[in-house]
Amino acid sequence: MTASVKSWVGAFVLTSMGLLGPAVGCAFADDMPDQKTHMHHMMGETMSPEAPDEHAHAHVHSHESMAGIKRSTAIYTPPSITLIRDDGRSVSLPAELDDGRPVVLTFIYTTCTTICPMISQTLAQLQSELGGDRDKVHIVSISIDPEEDTPARLRQYAKKFGAGPEWQHYTGTVAASVAAQRAFDVYRGDKMNHNPVTLFRAAPGKPWLRMDGFVTAGELLSEYHDLVASN
Amino acid sequence: MTWLHRTKCSLLRGLHFSRFRRFPLAGELIVTIVLGVFSAHGWAQPVSTTAGERVYREGILPSEATLWGQRQAGARIGGADAACVSYHRRSGLGSAEGSFTIPPIIGTYLFRTRAQNVQDLDLPHVPAGGAHRDAYTDETLARAIRDGVRPDGTELSYLMPRFKLDDETMASLIGYLKSLTSGSVAGVTEQTLHFATIVTPDADPVARQGMLDVLDRYFADKNAFIRGESPKLVSSRELMYRVTRRWQLHVWELTGPPATWQRQLHERLAAEPVFAIVSGIGGKNWAPVHAFCKEESIPCLMPNVDLPVVAETDFYSIYFSKGVLLEAQLIAQQLPARAAGSRRLIQIFREGDIGEDAANAMRATQSATGVDVVQVALKAGGTPREFANAVRSIGSGDAVILWLRPADLASLPAAVPKGSTVFVSGLLGGLENALLPANWRSIAHVTYPFDLPDLRKSRMNFPLSWFKMRNITVVDERVQTDTYLACSILAETLGHMLDSFVRDYLVEREEVMLSYRLLNGYYPRLSLAPGQRFASKGGYTVRFAEPQGTRLVAEGGWVVP
Repeated sequence: MTASVKSWVGAFVLTSMGLLGPAVGCAFADDMPDQKTHMHHMMGETMSPEAPDEHAHAHVHSHESMAGIKRSTAIYTPPSITLIRDDGRSVSLPAELDDGRPVVLTFIYTTCTTICPMISQTLAQLQSELGGDRDKVHIVSISIDPEEDTPARLRQYAKKFGAGPEWQHYTGTVAASVAAQRAFDVYRGDKMNHNPVTLFRAAPGKPWLRMDGFVTAGELLSEYHDLVASN
Repeated sequence: MTWLHRTKCSLLRGLHFSRFRRFPLAGELIVTIVLGVFSAHGWAQPVSTTAGERVYREGILPSEATLWGQRQAGARIGGADAACVSYHRRSGLGSAEGSFTIPPIIGTYLFRTRAQNVQDLDLPHVPAGGAHRDAYTDETLARAIRDGVRPDGTELSYLMPRFKLDDETMASLIGYLKSLTSGSVAGVTEQTLHFATIVTPDADPVARQGMLDVLDRYFADKNAFIRGESPKLVSSRELMYRVTRRWQLHVWELTGPPATWQRQLHERLAAEPVFAIVSGIGGKNWAPVHAFCKEESIPCLMPNVDLPVVAETDFYSIYFSKGVLLEAQLIAQQLPARAAGSRRLIQIFREGDIGEDAANAMRATQSATGVDVVQVALKAGGTPREFANAVRSIGSGDAVILWLRPADLASLPAAVPKGSTVFVSGLLGGLENALLPANWRSIAHVTYPFDLPDLRKSRMNFPLSWFKMRNITVVDERVQTDTYLACSILAETLGHMLDSFVRDYLVEREEVMLSYRLLNGYYPRLSLAPGQRFASKGGYTVRFAEPQGTRLVAEGGWVVP
């Protein structure tokens, strides 16, 4: 049936429904769930329109980890490559990681819709939970889609998550990004193959704690306290 | 409810082809009122799925409030980030990222059991679609969305948030899911896939012919190995599908003024339904074609246009690069360094050609720099004297950008204006074949938004050999290679889709698969993602190595501006 024939049939049927009265129409309601049982208006439970939380802060209600984080410890050597920081400056990766502060390191790309928003939101929560300690930590997010993620785009992305000055995003050439990914064993060939990984190092020269999976802000926070306390 | 919704859709479609087409809101209103009158009798609840679509695509509730979803461990996600489309994609067929699979959530998946799914030949089969699960009902689906549990009581993935929607919004969303990616697909028959290519009258006629030659031969090749009817196959996973279909090309040549092109395209599509638009060629006015593809929700894959439409949230049009707009960005980035002392930037272009648009884009980048931008617009078909005067206006210390075609470059005077910094658009000028006079060649900075000739040589062996074997005269190597590339990418993507011929899904798969390709003709790298519509993002700046010939010297590396 062509679209126009269907539309005339539809119109005809509706008209005849109108002429024949409600009896015919009721037959079509059979597969409708009984409206009465769904009168528990969810209005009260609907998320109220709080002021749009651009910075995606959230409370952590529990410290349960989501679906099993795999923890391991590793020595990684960041290569002596140049990256471009979100403020536009060319910087050396080892220097960025070795300014004395503990480092939380992740790999993201700004147009990622599945994994990265969760990672970045977790980092935003961590930043918030650190409170006054926030400037003592260096949060580093390196782009795995550097050609799209220009410094301007990174700034936009950082702003969305409310990144403070201690949380910086990095881009560079494709070669530099790949070298950084390889150094931390997160390179999987294509950006679509990436998996959530968070790396944490208490101080320069120490080994890295590697967490594969979606770590929560609470877990990162307790790692921070543990590792920093013991160093 | 579903029947009524389909009737409404049919009515709306009928209205679309009638005089109500220009007043879609009126049409929708009339239908809604008509259906609303009937619903007042309580027979059925016609639910507008517009609210559901908005929740799905934008994460906005009917009240205009933001949609918020609650994840485990207390994480909240809202608005565009929470919108179903971000994970389940526009087609509703899901996606995969790393080791995470996002399942399809279209009605035909949700409301049938897995056993039925597999046997269902009209269901687009996707890698993520195999979850063992009982069929949902409206009730259990609402519970899944609100509470995160399946019909059997097991919990959904921790990635899936819980959404507290009210009944009406929930009904609208579920109605939307039922309509999403359902029904027959235009341009796809049992044996044939129909594609169109669009040619605008302002396209370069030589390049146009070169492109059409490539398309003709590519489609002929595609069909050469098909003999008779292709049987249904059964995969090892017991999926039934038919892989091989003939490809048929429809060439849509537009005529007359650009204001009439959209109407012509709608008429062509109505008369010749096609699955997608592939390649094509345009000039200054691609916007009507871009708008057509958006309106018709039809993929428009990698046309040959050096002036694309920049709107990366428009889902359906994918471009190789931003063309002359990319060149403007490349020059803008280097201007402070290369023309450090210049207070004046002169841009010379022909009115009505794309150099004008590039010059305007360039001017916009200079608004805050204090550089005085002088636009020298040469009349189309102007005199050599006008041209000479324009060149003579270049003073010492000026920076100048020549947005000119080869014929104009060839008319440049032998002597270069002293003390000026000269940039030349490689795209407009002919790349390494630019007809720059000898003295200009040693000083002009030519933007080159492709891989350098030497670097791309081995990758180019394949398309060039194919042209030779198929007796295709190479009249515009870049356009013809890009056309061949667009076809190859389409073929590869379709191959991975098995026979899940869904327009939105085609675009989504190209987004995912593009960066896996290694051999991309003129481009060192092609890559896309949701929200990215330009596959190649950078370029070189080069100088000619000698007064004659095509040898180039790169000034720096590949730059992404």
